[in-house]
Amino acid sequence: MAAALPTLAEPAHFSLAERLVFAALAAASAYGFWRRFGPILGKILHSKKDPDFHLAPIGPRVRDFVWEVMLQAKVIRERPLAGVAHALVFWAFCAFALVTLNHCATIFGLGFLDPTGSVGRIYFDFAALFAVACAAGIAELFVRRFVVRPKWLGEVSPESGWIAFLIFALMATYLAAFFVAGDDGATREFWWAHTITLLVFLPLIPHTKHLHLVLSPASVFLSRGGFSRIPPLVGDEDFGLVAGKDLTQLVSLQAYSCVECGRCTEHCPAANTGKLLDPKTVILGVRGYLNDYGPASEQPLLGKYNSQEAAFECTTCGACEFQCPVGIEHVPIIVGLRRGAVNTGAWQDERGAKLFLSLERGSNALGMSAAERDKFVEKNALPVFDGTQEYCLWLGCMGGYDPKGREIVLALVEVMQFLGASFGVLRKEKCTGDPVRRLGNDLVFQQLAESNLEALAQGKVKKIISICPHCVRTIQEDWKAFGTSPAVEHHSEFLAKFADRLPKSAGGEKIVFHDPCYLGRYRGVYDEPRKVAALAGELVEAPRSRERSFCCGAGGGLAFLGEETGERVSHVRAVELAATGAGVVGAACPFCNTMFRDALAQVSESRPGAPAPELLDIAQIAARGLRAG
Amino acid sequence: MKIAVAIKQVPERDAFVRIAPNAKGIEEHELQWAMNEPDAYALEEALQFKEKNGGEVVVVSAGPERVGSTIREALAKGADRAIHVVCDDLAGRDALNVAKLLAAAIKPENPDLILTGLQSEDVGLGQTGVIVAELLGLPHATLILHVEKTDAGLKVKRELEEGWFQEIELPLPAVLTMQSGGNKLRYATLMGIKKAKTKELRTVNAAEPDGAPPVLVLERVTLPQKQKSTQMLGGSAKEAAAALVEKLKTEARVL
Repeated sequence: MAAALPTLAEPAHFSLAERLVFAALAAASAYGFWRRFGPILGKILHSKKDPDFHLAPIGPRVRDFVWEVMLQAKVIRERPLAGVAHALVFWAFCAFALVTLNHCATIFGLGFLDPTGSVGRIYFDFAALFAVACAAGIAELFVRRFVVRPKWLGEVSPESGWIAFLIFALMATYLAAFFVAGDDGATREFWWAHTITLLVFLPLIPHTKHLHLVLSPASVFLSRGGFSRIPPLVGDEDFGLVAGKDLTQLVSLQAYSCVECGRCTEHCPAANTGKLLDPKTVILGVRGYLNDYGPASEQPLLGKYNSQEAAFECTTCGACEFQCPVGIEHVPIIVGLRRGAVNTGAWQDERGAKLFLSLERGSNALGMSAAERDKFVEKNALPVFDGTQEYCLWLGCMGGYDPKGREIVLALVEVMQFLGASFGVLRKEKCTGDPVRRLGNDLVFQQLAESNLEALAQGKVKKIISICPHCVRTIQEDWKAFGTSPAVEHHSEFLAKFADRLPKSAGGEKIVFHDPCYLGRYRGVYDEPRKVAALAGELVEAPRSRERSFCCGAGGGLAFLGEETGERVSHVRAVELAATGAGVVGAACPFCNTMFRDALAQVSESRPGAPAPELLDIAQIAARGLRAG
Repeated sequence: MKIAVAIKQVPERDAFVRIAPNAKGIEEHELQWAMNEPDAYALEEALQFKEKNGGEVVVVSAGPERVGSTIREALAKGADRAIHVVCDDLAGRDALNVAKLLAAAIKPENPDLILTGLQSEDVGLGQTGVIVAELLGLPHATLILHVEKTDAGLKVKRELEEGWFQEIELPLPAVLTMQSGGNKLRYATLMGIKKAKTKELRTVNAAEPDGAPPVLVLERVTLPQKQKSTQMLGGSAKEAAAALVEKLKTEARVL
């Protein structure tokens, strides 16, 4: 039956001269590849070792590799049309691995796939299907890049056009061989045309962003693990990413893996609101630095290739890192650049210095007297944690000092009391260090982490509940370097468990839930807050929600720095939330809450006649149901 | 140019203060400590002065072992070396006695300029710096916001009442007591802390009190009494406003 299948024609014999020409061309091609790729590999390998890299456990790495590389799931999911086109090209390349090996072997009479045998026929036909798909895919990508031209791709690069042409030519010359027969003439011409295309393509790979063909499988497989995980500082000379000597192997690998697709830029709140920061430029900046100075250099990283201003515009929302199809971990790199600037004192910013000084000496990021928290606890008769209660209710800076944050805490208290959950607050509590951690001040962060860990250990706290996703993240992940934290739960997770026991609000209005970055992308919690928010009525979704949620602008310590350039991130998001027509904006983070309060008021001013949606934390939504019932 | 900066460690501003059983001071355990703020400004001025004119900044602090953390903070922010006058009964000594300790430690250093805060945030006597100047026989100026080097010595900006300032010149060596707020304080850095470990921190034992009767005797320390003194002003809005202005003038004395 296989004998009936169409097959391709290949020359049966090659002359010695042809063999010599092929050998010379292949050697030149391989040399052209290695002359560029060798130094790149050298720069990666000569970078500093990653202090926190462990290959084990291998299971999640294999799973990510299969999912993201082999199945191209992330590429497709986040940009379906371009993603499928890319996947077709990728799968064709995989199918062509054997075809290409066989192709080069035939000239020496060593071909292992016989086009007349049944195995050969089946495989060549199988590859031909991929070749058709690949040609269609690359044509789509060509049209996208040169005709549609989405702005995220940046300037038109002629090299991409050449690459697209070569890939198309590879497929065309392969398929053409199905329509000819015999040993000479067209058969031989197509064989050589395919060969030459192949040998021209190879050295172009490391000279262009198509280097990702070689490196991105490695960068996905060798990810540092976790989301936006900030590496530990090791030794007395490590202050973060100060100079080339601080770049680690994985940072260098990631810098060379970047395929310049611009997904990071497309989703970046800073890049979208007219700031200098563009995550793609940061990664390409590291690559440019490595090309110029190499990994052992003492030349500062912030300078020619990366700007300090841009580094401090990042909200650490992680949209870039979440989107990246080649496994680049942008946030630790950006935070690393900040650490380099702050830990050495190079960053001078009035508001930043004020925040650092308040946390060096005081207890909270708002710069208020700790007595204010005591007064709040006393006035509302919040029980003090004495080791008998189930939960330690962590107030955080916003919950303990900010008037709106306090309202959220009191709403949660009301619901916890209704549910009969026992809890208490610490007598003394300091900022978890989230803003200084993300701004790169390791000295103050360590002091805060150690002091809090000691207080929690003394109080024998087993379980923490907090209204702030930033506190939750910092307690659970970032304190690890300094001790063992108690288990910690965000209040959305707690409330969702008991949502069935909570009465619904009578109103039944439309409600849109805004996913906080540190709850969603950082913690993977999306459904729990929605379950609680749904108590207030019918849920509608913003255009960008869940994993693609757009930041409120407060993260990364930026709530304390002010936002001078471009449009306000919070305003852009507030417009989007208000446009859903929802009567209630549900929040689950006191920082988002405070950002949207002003932004929504502004939005309603610009829309006369349309009242601003009501802004409520999910705890307030739950508490409102209690009061109504 | 050698600059000596005298700093004091005081309870953190947020600290919950309790009176010691003998009522002669405060309960010290469980307190958290920080650098006296005006001294932090003195240090900042010294560091900026050094950055502009070169030289060396030497920090001097008297107190028990815990003072070491504040000294290390000063070294981390950029002081070159430090002298710790170990003294477990600092709170029991009057300003003259403390000034004698500091002057004795500073004198062999022969600094060109001595800076300190104009007062401490805990007892707030505002005398120590001035007495040090007297003991060393040096000219001094108080309430300084800004220091500038001139050919003859220094030009300094003093803060007076009601938004007035005074600029005066004085020769070196001199003692200046610094007011808060003249500069922006720098934040401590990890690199600074690591460098501070390698800097010289010399400890000297405090001389015993010289037996002369103290010039100031502390009788008793008490917490301020909390009392509510809300007054409701009746009458028409006009009358109430007039009464309010009168009270602000005569009772509150803010107008």
